[in-house]
Amino acid sequence: MVEKMPDSVTIERMFPAPPDLMWKLWTQPEHFASWYGPAGSTVPVARMDVRVGGTRLLCMEVQAPQGLRRMWFTGTYLEVAENQRLVYTDSMADEHGTVLAPEEMGMPAGHPTTTEVRVHLEPVGGGTRMVLTHIGIPEGSPGAVGWAMALDKLADQLTANDNTL
Amino acid sequence: MTAAVEDRLDATFGALANATRRAMLARLAQGEATVNELAEPFRLSLPAISKHLKVLERAGLIVRGQQAQYRPRTLDATPLREVSSWAEQYRPVWEARLNRMDSYLQELQRDEEDA
Repeated sequence: MVEKMPDSVTIERMFPAPPDLMWKLWTQPEHFASWYGPAGSTVPVARMDVRVGGTRLLCMEVQAPQGLRRMWFTGTYLEVAENQRLVYTDSMADEHGTVLAPEEMGMPAGHPTTTEVRVHLEPVGGGTRMVLTHIGIPEGSPGAVGWAMALDKLADQLTANDNTL
Repeated sequence: MTAAVEDRLDATFGALANATRRAMLARLAQGEATVNELAEPFRLSLPAISKHLKVLERAGLIVRGQQAQYRPRTLDATPLREVSSWAEQYRPVWEARLNRMDSYLQELQRDEEDA
């Protein structure tokens, strides 16, 4: 009686602003930092290299009983179609952008290391219909390609540095 | 998420929002049990017990056995896995984020009008 649930969540919403403004809210660090974190949190670091293969690094600071708690997230942009579609990966990380296992960070078992966020924007009247999908990416699946790309980029950078030495 | 899945989650959460029903599920997690066995730990009338069982059945959390005489109940944990799926835990997080996005948008648009 129960069909298999895909490990994803999809939310569709209308916003009273054109897609280009919604795009800025997703892709410009100062805008993104203004809404992304939960109430009472701040986003002191939001580095976003919004192009295919570009990386992102985000720090969220939350007031916890033991004091300020900093959480870092990193990922790679997989699709960048201005004002239309944005796809990026998201993982918990340290401040250097090194991916951490979710269990290490106290997340419940079964939480995938890498997740993918897909944002689809569509103009409707003067506003925007936004469809957001957050998907868990099983390790070693084709969806993990974002990480392969990030590692390739890192390898390129390291090779380039070697040459300049 | 489809309306059918939403309804199913409502049914699951509704069924879990009661201590007696959670205790029944805990008992069934150890193995099948008859209605009398399930009723034993509670000071409840049999109609009350069978009402709880019906809620659990509708939520798909228990299955009724075919043995006519005893009709033992068995736990079906599938809906529980659904509730605790990684992604569903993220739904309220995203709902809240999009609410903040909406408020921030209004702020921006107000500032623009003032300017």
